[in-house]
Amino acid sequence: MRILRAIFGHGSGRIGGAIVCVYLLIAVLGLLGLTPHNPITQYRIDRLHAPSATYWMGTDLFGRDVASRLMAGIGQSFTVAFFSVAFATLAGTVLGLAAAWLGRRWDGVVMRVMDVLLAFPAILLALLIVTVAGPGTWTSVVAIGIVYTPIFTRVVRGPALSLKAREFVDAARTFGSSSSYIVTRHLLLNLVAPLTVQVTLALAWALLTEAGLSFLGLGTQPPAASLGLMLSDSRNLMETAPWLMIFPGLAIMISILGFNLLGDALRDILDPRMRRAFA
Amino acid sequence: MVHLTRRLLSGITLAAILGIATVSTQAATLHMAWSQDATGLDPHKQTAFSSLRLLELIYEPLVRVDASLQIVPAIATSWAFSKDGKELSFKLDPKAKFQDGTAVTSADVKASFERILDEKTGAAARANFLSIAGIDTPDAATVVFHLSQPDVPILTAMSDVNAAIVPAAEITAGSIGTKAMGSGPFKLDKWDPNAKEVLSANKDWAGGATGVDGIEISVLPDEAAILAAMRTKQIDFALLNDPLVATLVPKEASLQLNRVPVLAYHVLQLNPSRKPMTELKVRQAISCAIDRQEVLDTASLGEGKVTGPLTIPALATDPSQLFCYKRDVEKAKKLMAEAGFADGFSATVIGATGEPPTAAAEAQVIQSQLAEIGVKLDIKMMELNVYVDAWLKGDFDMAIALNGGRADPYTMYNRYWTKAGNLQKVANYIDDTLDSQMQQGRAETDPEKRKAIFADFEKHLAEVSPWIWLYTSYSYTAQQKNIAGFVPTPTGTLFSLSKVTIQ
Amino acid sequence: MNYLLRRLATFPLVLLGVSILVFVAIRMVPGDSITAMLGTEAGLLTPAQRDALAAYFGIDQPWFIQYWRWIGGIAHGNFGISVTYGRPVLDVILERFPLTLELALLSMIIALAVGMPAGIHAATHNEKPSDLGVRIVAMIGQSTPSFVLGLLIIYTLSAGFGVLPAMGEFAPLWQDPLRNLSQLILPAITLGFAFAASVTRIARSAMLDVLSDDYVRTARSKGASARSVIWRHALPNALIPVVTLSGIEFGYLLGGAVIVEQIYALPGLGRMVLDAILQRDYALVQGAVLFIAFNFMIVNLLVDLAYVALDPRIRLGEQ
Repeated sequence: MRILRAIFGHGSGRIGGAIVCVYLLIAVLGLLGLTPHNPITQYRIDRLHAPSATYWMGTDLFGRDVASRLMAGIGQSFTVAFFSVAFATLAGTVLGLAAAWLGRRWDGVVMRVMDVLLAFPAILLALLIVTVAGPGTWTSVVAIGIVYTPIFTRVVRGPALSLKAREFVDAARTFGSSSSYIVTRHLLLNLVAPLTVQVTLALAWALLTEAGLSFLGLGTQPPAASLGLMLSDSRNLMETAPWLMIFPGLAIMISILGFNLLGDALRDILDPRMRRAFA
Repeated sequence: MVHLTRRLLSGITLAAILGIATVSTQAATLHMAWSQDATGLDPHKQTAFSSLRLLELIYEPLVRVDASLQIVPAIATSWAFSKDGKELSFKLDPKAKFQDGTAVTSADVKASFERILDEKTGAAARANFLSIAGIDTPDAATVVFHLSQPDVPILTAMSDVNAAIVPAAEITAGSIGTKAMGSGPFKLDKWDPNAKEVLSANKDWAGGATGVDGIEISVLPDEAAILAAMRTKQIDFALLNDPLVATLVPKEASLQLNRVPVLAYHVLQLNPSRKPMTELKVRQAISCAIDRQEVLDTASLGEGKVTGPLTIPALATDPSQLFCYKRDVEKAKKLMAEAGFADGFSATVIGATGEPPTAAAEAQVIQSQLAEIGVKLDIKMMELNVYVDAWLKGDFDMAIALNGGRADPYTMYNRYWTKAGNLQKVANYIDDTLDSQMQQGRAETDPEKRKAIFADFEKHLAEVSPWIWLYTSYSYTAQQKNIAGFVPTPTGTLFSLSKVTIQ
Repeated sequence: MNYLLRRLATFPLVLLGVSILVFVAIRMVPGDSITAMLGTEAGLLTPAQRDALAAYFGIDQPWFIQYWRWIGGIAHGNFGISVTYGRPVLDVILERFPLTLELALLSMIIALAVGMPAGIHAATHNEKPSDLGVRIVAMIGQSTPSFVLGLLIIYTLSAGFGVLPAMGEFAPLWQDPLRNLSQLILPAITLGFAFAASVTRIARSAMLDVLSDDYVRTARSKGASARSVIWRHALPNALIPVVTLSGIEFGYLLGGAVIVEQIYALPGLGRMVLDAILQRDYALVQGAVLFIAFNFMIVNLLVDLAYVALDPRIRLGEQ
C-alpha cells in the first residue's frame, strides 16, 4: 500500500503507473473476451477496411477487427512477457547470487552452464524447445525465460561480486551474521536497483522476442493474436494497410514507456539510500 | 516543383553519401534476385523450386514442355512410341554438346537413366521410370527405351530436369553434384550458397545464341527488399512468392509483373485414416462447408483460381461441375448429422511456416468456415522440415499443403491415388475406381479417350473427398520494362531467360 | 594472471558442453538432411535409396559414433564438410565472420557513441525535460522490432528517394571500403538504434545509482566540482553495468543478426546458421555454434577482466 502511494506521489511513477494500469485493464478485458467485436470473427466483406466508426483501428486481411485483436493481443503478449520475465528473474537471481556468494567451484559450474546457454544461438534453442514441447503460449514463456536466464544471472552476479567486496558486507560478516542473512538482507536489497531496471528492460525484450518467435512461426499460434504476431503479419501489408503496423507498433511502444517509467520510479522508491543528489 | 527538386536533390545527395551506383551493369548481364536459393547441384536429386529453376538453365533433359504444356525438342529432336506402346525411341540433336565441348551421345543418355534408376543414387524421379526394362543405343544419336508396360506419361516425366542428361564421364568420376556440367544455355561460373550465383552464356549451346551474356542471381531473403531493389533498378528480374508483395509490383511505373497460373495446387489434405475423417459423409461435409473462392480471395488476395484435382488446363473440368464446389452449409450440416456428428468434432490442422506464404492465412479462413458446421480446428504452424517429417509419416488430422503439379496427371497423382503409390501412407485413401482409372489413363495413347478417363477420375476424387482441393495460384516474376522476351509457363521454369534481351 | 589461466582452462570444458548440446539438439528436431533436400518428394524414396543418401550425408551411423567422428576430426583441426557448400566448414565460417565482426563493431560504436553521452546527460539532468526527451527516444529505440525499422528504412529510401545501398553482392572491407561501408551503415544503424537505447538506459540508471553513493557524496562534500565528480569518481563505477550490457550484446551480435541480415541480404553468420538449420546441414550448424560459443566466451572473459580494471575492489575468482 505504501509503495502504491509512493508510486503515485512520484512524478514519472504516476504516468508510468497509469499507463501500466490501463494496459493491465485492457489485458484483462482482452483475456476475458470483453472486446468491441470478437477478435477472431472474420467479417469477410470488410477485409482490409481502413479505420472507421465501426472498426476503430480498421480490419485485417481476414476482416477481423484490429481494435479487438489489439486488446486480445495485449492480453496474450503481457501474459507471455510477465511469465517469461518472472521465470528469468527468479532463475537468474538465484543462480547469480549462488554463483557470487558460494564462489569458487559453484561459481565456475553455474557460470559455465550459463556460458553454454548464452553462447547457444537463441533461435536454435527456441526451435528445439518448441519442437519438443509444441508451439504455444507456455512454450514461448519457457523458451524466452531460458534465453534470458543467463543475462539475469550475469546482471546479478556482477554487482553482487562488487557488493560482496565492499566494506559493509565484510563488516556484517565480522559481526557474525549468517551467510543467508547477509545474502538476503544486504545483497538482495542492494540488487533491487539494477534488477528493477533489468526487469523493465527485459519486459520490453520479452515483448519483442515474442514478436520474433511469432515472426518465425514459433510463437503465438493463429488465429490468436499477440502484439508481435500482429506486427509481423503486417510487414508485407505495410504499404497496402499501414494501420495494421501502426497500432500494434504504438501499443508496444507505449507499453514499454509505461514499464520504463514505472521501473524508474520503483527504483527510486525501493533504493535504501536516498537518491537525487544531483537532481 | 520546388518540392520535386528538393526531393531529387536529396535523393542524389543520399546516393552520393551512400556511394551508390544506380546503373552499375554492363548492358548484357541480367541481374536477377530470388528469396530462396538453390540447395544443390545434382539435377537428379534436387527437388527444391529454386534448385530446379537454376538447374534448368544449366542442364537439359531429352525433351521439354512449352508454355502450353506441349512436348517440344530439347536434346532429342524427335521421338516415337512403338505401336504397342512398349518402345520409346529418341533421335538426339547432333549439335548438342556439354559445356566442356564433348558431344552428347546415346551413351550419356543411357548412363544418365541408369544413374537415376540405381537405388544407390537416391534420385528423386526414380519412381517415374520404373517401367524402363532396358535401354538400347543402336548408334551415337539413337536411344531406344524398352518398357515393361505401355507408359504414355513417361515422356512427360522425361521433360523434367530431374531426368536431365549428364555426361557419362562425370558419372564415372563421381563429380555430379560437386560441379555443374550440362548441355544447357548457361554455365555456372560461381555459386556461393544462400548468397549468389554467377552464370555465363554457353557459346556452344545447340539452341543458338543466348540473349544476354550472363546472369547474376542474388539471394535477397526478404521479398519486400527485392521490391525495393527493383525500384532502384539494381535488379532487372526477380522471382516472387508472396502475393502480398507481388501485387505491389504493378503500382511501380517502371516495373512489370508476369503471372501465370501454375500446376501446383493449394489443398486441405484430410487424413481418412483418422476418425472421423474415415467417414465419407464427414469428408463431404467438410468439402461442402468450405468456400474455396473465399479462401483464395482472403489468403491470396484473389490471385489465382479455384481448381479441382486436375490443374492441367487441357484436361481440367470446370470446377463448378464438381461435387459441392458451391458452398452449401445446410447440406454440410445434414451430412454431418447423418454421419453421427451433428455436434461437430475437434481436429488439428498442420501447416508449414512461410511455405507457402499463404499457409497460415488459408488455415485461418478454413478454421472460421468449418466452425460454422461445428468443426473446431486447432492450427499448428511448423518449421518446414518438421512439417515435412510429420507429413511423410501421415501424422496429422488435416494438413494445409501446396503440392507440386506435373504436366501429366498420371505422373502427378500415381504416388497418391494408386494402390502401389509411394505416398499412400500420406494419402491414406484408395478405392478400386481410382486405381483402375489411373491404370487406364497410363496406358491410353488416344488423347481424347485419355481426357475422358481423367475427367471421370477428377469427378470421382472430388466426390470421395479425401482431400479438399482449393485453388491454383500464380507464379510471379517481376521485371524492369526494358527486359524483353520472357515467357512465363505453368511449370514455373525460367528456361526462356535463355532468349531474354535487355533493351 | 592466475585467474586468466584458470578461466582459459575452463574453455575446453564449456565447448565440450556446447558441442554435446548442439549435436543432440539439432538431431532432436524432426526432419533430416534428406527431407531438407527432397522435401515431400523424400516419400518416393525406396529404403535402399534412403540408405544411400543417409550414407552420403554421413547420418547412417548411430549418434555416438557420429559424435565421436566429429570430435575426433576437430582434434585434428577438421570440422567436417558442409553438405550445402561442399567445402570445409571452417572455410565457410571464416569467410562469413569478417562481415559479422564488422557489423557488430559498427553497431557497438554507434550504440556507445550515442548511448553513453545521452545516458550521462539524462542522469545529470534527472527528471528535467531533456532527460524526458532522451528517455522517450530510448523508449522508441527499445520498442521498435528490427524488422520494422529495417523495412521502414528500406521502404523510405527506395520509394521516397529512389536509392538503396547495393544489395546482394557484398564487398569485403579490404576490397572496396567505400562500398562496404555503404552496405553496412544502414544495417548497423538498424541494430545500433536498439542497442544505443539499452546503453542509454543502463548508463543513466547506473550513473544515478553511483551519484547517490557515499563516496561520491563525500567527494562532493569535499568540494570537488560536479564535473570532476562525474568524470573522475562516478563514471568509472557506472561503467560496470554498461560494460556488462555491451559485452553481452556484442557477444550476441558476433553470433550474427538473423533478421537484419535477412532484410539487408547480408551474408553473415546469423543467416548462415539459420539456413544451415533449415537445410539440416549438421556439420555446419555444429561447427558454427562451436565457433560462436568460443567467441562468446572470449568476450565474456574480457567483460570479467574489465570488472577488475574498473573496480579494483573486485579480485576475480578469489575469496
